[in-house]
Amino acid sequence: MKGIIGHAVRVPAYRIAREEIARAWQSSSPGGYKRCVRFDEDSLTLAAAAAQNCLQALSGTRVAGLIFASTTAPYLERLNAGIIAAICDLGAGSFVLDAASSLRAGTTALQLALAAVPDDSAIVVCAADMREAALGSPEEMQYSDAGAAVAVGTQNVIAELLASATTNDDFFDSVRRDRDERVTSFASKFSSDYGYIAPVTRVVKEILAKAGKVSGEIAKFVVSSPDRRAHLQLAKKLGFNEKQLQDIGFEDGGLTGAAMPLALLSAALESAKPGDLIAVASFGNGADALLFRVTDQIQCYKPRVPLAAQKAVALDYASYTLYRKAREFFRSADQGLEISNVFYAKEEHQITRLHGSACRHCGMRQFPLAQVCVGCRKADALDEVALARTGTIYTFSEDTLYPSPLPPTVMAVVDLDGGGRIYCEVVDCLPSEVRIGMPVELTFRKLKEGGGLYHYYWKCSPRRTA
Amino acid sequence: MSASLADKVAVIGVGCTKFGENFGQSLQEMMVEAGTAACADAGVSLDDVQAAWLGTFSPGFSGGKATITLADSLKFRGRPITRVENYCATGTDAFRNAAAAVAAGQYDIVLVLGAEKLRDRPVRGLQREGIHPYFEAGSTAPGIFALAANRYMHTFGMKRETLAKVAVKNHANGASNPKAHFQMKITEDQVLKAPMIAYPFGLFDCCPTTDGAAAAIICRADLASKFRKDRIVVRGIGLAVMSGKPYLDPTCDYLGFPATQAAAQQAYKAAGISDPVKEVDFAEVHDCFTWTEISNYEDLGLCRKGEGPRFIEEGRSTLQGDMPVNPSGGLKSFGHPVGATGVRMIYEIVTQLRGEAGERQVKNAEIGLAHNLGGPGAVACVVILGREG
Repeated sequence: MKGIIGHAVRVPAYRIAREEIARAWQSSSPGGYKRCVRFDEDSLTLAAAAAQNCLQALSGTRVAGLIFASTTAPYLERLNAGIIAAICDLGAGSFVLDAASSLRAGTTALQLALAAVPDDSAIVVCAADMREAALGSPEEMQYSDAGAAVAVGTQNVIAELLASATTNDDFFDSVRRDRDERVTSFASKFSSDYGYIAPVTRVVKEILAKAGKVSGEIAKFVVSSPDRRAHLQLAKKLGFNEKQLQDIGFEDGGLTGAAMPLALLSAALESAKPGDLIAVASFGNGADALLFRVTDQIQCYKPRVPLAAQKAVALDYASYTLYRKAREFFRSADQGLEISNVFYAKEEHQITRLHGSACRHCGMRQFPLAQVCVGCRKADALDEVALARTGTIYTFSEDTLYPSPLPPTVMAVVDLDGGGRIYCEVVDCLPSEVRIGMPVELTFRKLKEGGGLYHYYWKCSPRRTA
Repeated sequence: MSASLADKVAVIGVGCTKFGENFGQSLQEMMVEAGTAACADAGVSLDDVQAAWLGTFSPGFSGGKATITLADSLKFRGRPITRVENYCATGTDAFRNAAAAVAAGQYDIVLVLGAEKLRDRPVRGLQREGIHPYFEAGSTAPGIFALAANRYMHTFGMKRETLAKVAVKNHANGASNPKAHFQMKITEDQVLKAPMIAYPFGLFDCCPTTDGAAAAIICRADLASKFRKDRIVVRGIGLAVMSGKPYLDPTCDYLGFPATQAAAQQAYKAAGISDPVKEVDFAEVHDCFTWTEISNYEDLGLCRKGEGPRFIEEGRSTLQGDMPVNPSGGLKSFGHPVGATGVRMIYEIVTQLRGEAGERQVKNAEIGLAHNLGGPGAVACVVILGREG
């Protein structure tokens, strides 16, 4: 049996009321909130957070590969999925691949992963986007940032693949060239009829026919969307009622690009029951559809940080100006931090994989990698180990001197569970929430930009896991 | 430290520029002013000086990389010059190295010069240099000391009001010091209401960034009487280095500075001091932040761990107390041009021991202690000077 063995979403903690965007542009708001990145997040960190949560829920399944799907990957030449694989501490034998350029890159990657996954292994498909729309456009309010991950495999399958279909058509409704920062939108009734409803209808009918099912038998129809109205029209045309249609969560989210179908799928799986049929579809220069049947195994699967727990964290940008400042902070604060590839190659195991040393004599775990034990000072018995990504704040400071678009910068000394101490920023909470003894989890974030590179390292946030 | 250094080295001359925003003076001009003043104070010509130690942390735009700043400014050429850099303990470590060379008999008369020009930088605060671009990103000087202060407050229940008393005391002392960066008294209320820098440190809990230079001429103790009637000798020196990354060291408890404890023990042992609060008459300590001074009371053994807050609250470290601390105004008020600070402490101790400190004079000052702390509590140096006869 092949199918889904794990899933996770990553909802940014920050958001902005669409009213605030409308106020800035003297335009009208469709209501609700747009979820958006903190200044230190991007598509890579959102996808990495989802992938890590997905993998941790799988506990030790061999990972054969990792695919990162996004239209806004930070690097155009440097394998983004390779960085995510390192964050997830995958071995050099895993294949890694960036899937790009289409809003349905995530579902196409999912189809490829399902076709390719070897027995007793997993392939992780993670997707994220933080798309920039034209300033003052309706899309600027509709687009929302998110990450999601879905792991496929052959053991402990929670949703079995029944059918899949794809259609490819060079129909453009939203476009961004290599030189463009913002999406050029061709949103219109023509686009939604011919670029969305028509191709998605075709592939959904195809999977239902292949599996011998009709729309009335589907428990959840999960489909990405170019706008809310077209979403409802499509469902109606295919014969799905409102209860069957997976809500896109526009009130506290929005159109999340390549992450959208996988994020909605994860949300549907959170509330799925054994036997449920879930149809997943997405669009973007064509369309993809997959049909899954939920298994009894779903009752054993607990998402590490459920969607509701993530949405419970909501830090509102008080103004559009602050939202933009956070989004563009590093562009004006390029610290020119230049490290060599020699330095990074030597330090990658510590910086990105968070490896430390464990002493065979006294047992003490320590960070960074040590040649002489900090506990017993013996020099011959240190093993490289992966350190825990959870811990407790030993002490902290609230620093207004350090440049940040969200001052004060809260820096904490964190004692990791099982040993090792690191020093990092506390994010995704108000400074007033931080206290000594607070349990935290580590989150991989952007530190700085400069020297032609994005510099990522670990930060921490209040522990949301059960 | 070997006990053999004790009483072998005398300080015969000191000099110090005005500390502050010396916008009109270059690093080199400040070095010439301080070095020339120290020579004049000692009654020696620079030609008589056989070697020099230059303490500077971050020489900046015109400071050069190493020893040349001293060679080029004072035209001190054809003789050994060594640059010393040891975080904010640079100045006292330069003094320690110079004293060791004299005690070893290598030279008779040498110059120690500490200098820093921080106010020509385009950024706020003291730049942290040489830190790991990832593991230590986000750290600032107030931030890393606030880590310790917050853990201490959490453990011992100290309040910001107690910290403020340190700032009030040191500003009161500095108010009568013409060379101090700040010559103004402040109130506890002002300290508490000042803009926050890094909790619990408001603006007045932090020492300033300062320009300045200080110098000392030291010689073999048996030659001192040739130059001066008073006789001020080095009684003991200690220096200890701990981790420069306590935030990565699971053995660091953040309740004080073990480097200071170790350096103090070395210096006390050399000087034969067993009860510092009784045997030392006053101290110039490293109050980069208000909490640092409170920790210093404990780490220097002036009181037990956890009793530092009471030490300041009871007024024991005021000019009138039984253990005046920072009669000069300290880093808080005198200012903190990093490499100069340790040598400035030597300048202040000598001035006090000679009875020339004016309004801020400590009564019956015979033994004074200088304490310099560098990095995030990584390096501490303690120098004890005594007046004989």
